[in-house]
Amino acid sequence: MYAPARRFAQARCLCTYALARDFEQARFKMEHIRTPKVEQVKCLDRFSSKKSTTGTLHLTTTHLIYRETTTDSPKEIWIMHHHIAVVEKLPLTAVGCPLVIHCKNFRVIHFIIPRERDCHDIFNSLLKLSRPVKYDDLYAFSYTPKKTEYERMMGWKVVNLNDEYQRMRIPNDIWQLTDVNRGYKVCDTYPTELYVPRSVSKPIIVGSSKFRSKGRFPALSYFFHQTQAAICRCSQPLSGFSARCLEDEHMLQAISKANPNSHFMYVMDTRPKLNAIANRAAGKGYENEDNYSNIRFKFVGIENIHVMRASLQKVNEVCGTKELSLNDFLIGLESSGWLRHIKAVLDAATSLAKAVGREGASVLVHCSDGWDRTAQVCSLGSLLLDPYYRTIKGFMVLIEKDWITFGHKFAERCGQLDGDPKEISPVFTQFIECVWHLTEQFPRVFEYSETYLLEIHEHVHSCQFGNFIGNCQKEREAMKIQQKTHSLWSFLLENQHKYLNPLYDCNLPCAHEVLEPNTVSFNFKFWRCMYHQFDITIHPRQSQLSRILTFIEQNNQLEMEAKKLEEQIIKLGQKPCAVYSREPFHPVSRLSRMLKASETVCKEEQQTTVESNSIRTLEDGNISGDECKELKATFSKTEPTLVNLELGMAKMTC
Amino acid sequence: MLSLGSGGGKTAKPSFVSYVSPEEIKKENVNDELKPHLLPGEILICEANTVVKLSREDSLQRGFYGKLICTNFKISFLSAEQLLDEVEQSYRNKLMGENDISLHCVDQIFGVYDDKKKPLLPGAVKNKIPEKLLLYCKDFRVFHFGLRYTKEEDARRLIQGIVHHCLNPTSLKCLFAFPYVGAAGGLKVGPIRIEDDPPTMMFESKNDWRGELDRTGGLLTYRIISINENYKISTRLPQFFAVPLSVADDDIKKYKGKGIPLWCWSHPSGCALLKMAAVPEAADDSASQMDKGWIERQLHILGEAHPINYMVRTEILSATLPTLQEIQASYSRFKQLFLTENAAEFWETDIKWLSALENSNWLEVIRQCLKKALDIVECLEHKNTTVVLMEENCCDLCCLVASLVQVIIDPHFRTISGFQSLIQKEWVMGCHCFLDRCNLLRNNDKEVPVFLLFLECVWQLLQQHPPAFEFTETYLTILSDSMYIPIFSTFLFNSPCQRDNNQMLDEDQRMLSRSLKLPSVWEWSVQFENSVQALFYNPVYVGKPKTDKIRRTQRVKPQRQMSLPSSPSYHNRPTSKKGFFREETDHLIKTFLGKKISRWTVTTEDHSVNYRQFYDDWRSKPVDHHGLLLPQYDGPALKVWGQRYLRWIPEVQIPGGGSTITLNKIFEIMDEINTLQTKVSQRVLKRQTSSPSSDVFTPFHQASRLSSTFPFGTIRRQSIKPRIPVSTNLSMSFGSMENLPDEEDLGVL
Repeated sequence: MYAPARRFAQARCLCTYALARDFEQARFKMEHIRTPKVEQVKCLDRFSSKKSTTGTLHLTTTHLIYRETTTDSPKEIWIMHHHIAVVEKLPLTAVGCPLVIHCKNFRVIHFIIPRERDCHDIFNSLLKLSRPVKYDDLYAFSYTPKKTEYERMMGWKVVNLNDEYQRMRIPNDIWQLTDVNRGYKVCDTYPTELYVPRSVSKPIIVGSSKFRSKGRFPALSYFFHQTQAAICRCSQPLSGFSARCLEDEHMLQAISKANPNSHFMYVMDTRPKLNAIANRAAGKGYENEDNYSNIRFKFVGIENIHVMRASLQKVNEVCGTKELSLNDFLIGLESSGWLRHIKAVLDAATSLAKAVGREGASVLVHCSDGWDRTAQVCSLGSLLLDPYYRTIKGFMVLIEKDWITFGHKFAERCGQLDGDPKEISPVFTQFIECVWHLTEQFPRVFEYSETYLLEIHEHVHSCQFGNFIGNCQKEREAMKIQQKTHSLWSFLLENQHKYLNPLYDCNLPCAHEVLEPNTVSFNFKFWRCMYHQFDITIHPRQSQLSRILTFIEQNNQLEMEAKKLEEQIIKLGQKPCAVYSREPFHPVSRLSRMLKASETVCKEEQQTTVESNSIRTLEDGNISGDECKELKATFSKTEPTLVNLELGMAKMTC
Repeated sequence: MLSLGSGGGKTAKPSFVSYVSPEEIKKENVNDELKPHLLPGEILICEANTVVKLSREDSLQRGFYGKLICTNFKISFLSAEQLLDEVEQSYRNKLMGENDISLHCVDQIFGVYDDKKKPLLPGAVKNKIPEKLLLYCKDFRVFHFGLRYTKEEDARRLIQGIVHHCLNPTSLKCLFAFPYVGAAGGLKVGPIRIEDDPPTMMFESKNDWRGELDRTGGLLTYRIISINENYKISTRLPQFFAVPLSVADDDIKKYKGKGIPLWCWSHPSGCALLKMAAVPEAADDSASQMDKGWIERQLHILGEAHPINYMVRTEILSATLPTLQEIQASYSRFKQLFLTENAAEFWETDIKWLSALENSNWLEVIRQCLKKALDIVECLEHKNTTVVLMEENCCDLCCLVASLVQVIIDPHFRTISGFQSLIQKEWVMGCHCFLDRCNLLRNNDKEVPVFLLFLECVWQLLQQHPPAFEFTETYLTILSDSMYIPIFSTFLFNSPCQRDNNQMLDEDQRMLSRSLKLPSVWEWSVQFENSVQALFYNPVYVGKPKTDKIRRTQRVKPQRQMSLPSSPSYHNRPTSKKGFFREETDHLIKTFLGKKISRWTVTTEDHSVNYRQFYDDWRSKPVDHHGLLLPQYDGPALKVWGQRYLRWIPEVQIPGGGSTITLNKIFEIMDEINTLQTKVSQRVLKRQTSSPSSDVFTPFHQASRLSSTFPFGTIRRQSIKPRIPVSTNLSMSFGSMENLPDEEDLGVL
């Protein structure tokens, strides 16, 4: 079930289609490809110096493909150009010219190309191909899977935010939909459909938006109907040292009043206090508690995108070291501060969830522009509050709501186009990692497993689907994303069986509660499956998850086996035995031998554990006897285990 | 820091809020005399009433009134209030209650005077009574006792008693085990009876050794000798042990068993793991030359002893592993991370968690041990080289590395009985100085947590390969706690000889033919009910397939290497290391490596590269839980043993979360499978009318909302949340159903 293998297969079939259909665009890209194929390329393992393979490197318009030639069962590595973050050409060595490729999905691959000229060509091609200059060059616009136009369109209807707000019981008598941003007139990075308290009029909204950075006025993000408290989001106020805005004050008051259960609301500035104060000099800043009635203001201190970028880079440098000693690892991890940043984000989300869930107070969250830290905190807060977001479908809705429509700048943060490298930052990665930490702490309340998170992260950077292309809804509309590309959500739904968490139990009482994660440092671990997902050599041999998944797989095989045997029995003119039909057993003299057999099996089974049972039974099941007696005996052996496993697993997967 | 107001009452510091006023308590105490639960032979030494136990969950602002007593076994807090409030506990030790601290479990004692924490040391107990008594335990519990309302003379006597009995040096005979067993006599504590199946081998008889030699296939090349019966030759050797066939009895006598390769374990391919203690340092050069010749001969014998000739590698452990002193220093830094007094202090360490962890170096020590074990495993498994572990006394790191290697290679030692047998064989019979290393007598500075380090290494393996072990981390945690309960013969002595001598009683008692047999720690029923013992069993353990033989069938063919590499390179072998065993090491190295010892010896230089390669090769094969189990020792792979170290810290608990929840689910499924199995068998055996032996063990049954630290440190926080439905029936997997089909056999036939 290992991820890369799956992805190769997937990417390969996608690629073929792309090549066939969009020949025109391909030809344009072909211009960049000088050397489409290099042979005798060495691929070094990042963590064990002794292991290297030799193969052929192919360069296509969408992928860089490395095909092993040394082994009998050649492995292939497909790297999408959009995934390439950095290409490095190292100084020439005796064996050849080393080329190191760092990917956005944290794959690091080290090639040694025998001829420097080839290396140079590949290097230049990759530089061009990995940094498209316009959106039209992105893979999503040429990606055409085997789907009808209708299916493609329906794919975009999988997630409907109107339904989502209705699920939150919005609009209601306090909150309503406003059309103030129709045509992106007030704020071009916001969606057109926004929810605000009924008591605020359009002029108030417009006034408030003028007082907020980038016009991002306070709007509803999540409504927790149990306490009537809301999570709202906006950008920083343009308060400078003393400026006030009555409309904005009115707006906040209206949000506070919208919650009958609390006489105050929190305003959470997710920045460190120093940063916020520094912003005041630029005419921005934070709310003055004296000017706003009934607000409680606090800073939560999440660092900005530049700090995060540097921090992650540091982690990956440290953890990419060969034969990493323990002390270097710990020191590196500490000094990078990455886990501390993760903790800060989760801390903020936890206190947000507590305020809304426990205290029943509404919270207004903002950072500088309200699209990075705000998106993180709001979405994680909702995730802690609402069990729906812990399901596969709900998680899509959450991302769509708090990230895509509210204008998290995916294009810039992920570096989709050749742009300002200072705008690139792992904000979304950080969010995904926070969710992973939650799944680790609460293994039974999430419908999805780590695989799902990794898959989403993969496609945020792959630009294979339209969802994450561009910076905001306005841009996406202009690009006609929904008309020209496919949606990731339908793709994920089709494959959702792969992402299920076998331990999930929606009937568990705690599955419906507000989660209270523990944010002690001990509980934060380096996420190896994300940052080293392609370095198979350093993974633990088998995770609990993959164990259970193989378990399910085995169970399915057993069922198949049972069916086959059943058919054989019928073919041989025997009635299926009583054990099989699960009816109370009636003694039949000719079956007594069989009975004995199953009995001994029962005895054995009680002593061994489940896994060994299934393995052994599989072996037993493989006996394909022609003789009827033998077959019967075999069958009755299979059956008891099968029943157990099946029901046990059925429970597990429900 | 939050604390009680000072006794004088002049300050307005926050003081604890009590549910009842002192007057009420007095009344209550009159009514309800609290009876301490004393074990046989336990004597009350001192007591004090109206002590407040402050609970950390309430920020040390509230607590329970009760009585603090000190006996010759434990410090115990008794409270009537608490009993009412008691949360059902799934984990209960029969010897030690929740508020009991064995005297040997106390690590540090502090008194708080006017908000200042001062260590209380024996002989230096001040006249002034501290307002608070802080007890730091070796199992990482931290107790706060407020003495503000205690009568002064009571408090003084109590503190003196506690400090004296917890910190002053004592003698072996004063350890609680002796009065306990003496008093229990033949009544409760019978002869060693371990209810495992298969039983734990104690290695006290020839038969056990023969059985083990037979199991590992070492019977042809090794023999069991009984020359040391009644410890005639050496007190630092067990009565029986195994040596290469050709070692003569006289050889053993020469250096009192030192300088003789002692058999630990045989690899199925024929090579073996042995250990050897250094010969006593020679007085002069000629004598040391002789010693070298001696060693050479022994190794030569070893090389030739095998039907197929193997290479022999000598491994001087003290030269490449951290010294005992470093281990001790590292552990004392490490444990301090978890002994936090209150929440504020905890958060303080939490900020610098990773660097503090690094600074302690403890994980690095573990890593070194795993690496060394891997190195030796590679020799045995891959190069078919017989390895001789060498150490000055061969009873510390030798035990550690030898047993770790065996856990890695031999699946038998990953079962509970196998693991216990291993500890008997390598540690107890290997004369590991438990008494000194645990410092139970508190009279020396030889305390080194070597055994704990071994458990740590096993834990790392366990968390990397959960299905390969029959036991759980709870088992390891409880085993590590048991070291500080001075009842079990396993952890009380420096050698089997010392144990046997001390178990012998005075003449008059012997006349009464009462044998004073201390229980072994493996008699778990002394400590735990079956329901707790059920927690020892790993639900995801992959039982041994029936068809499989004890050993894996296909084997690497031994290289029939008759000639050896022409130039063994042990001349440039490493190298002294700093530390307090340095001289010994140097001496050892001199003896062994001064000149070319034997053409059978080989030392490889590029170990690290070798075993890395070996590890990579192993990884590329599919996993076999009954085969080799190599540890991953890269930095990120090693983790902190959360259950052991963090279980009592309320800040770390995840209510309703953590891996416990997963485990719980697995138990649930096991339960269901068992129910179904019962049903199936009932249908097959149609005469079966009632479900037999349905609920025997119910480990999760009573547990209210589980926290991540389960089964330790139950949550006392008031929770309005409903309970998680948990498994009720764990019994089936542990063989209580076995006899059901047996009975029915007859009926059907």
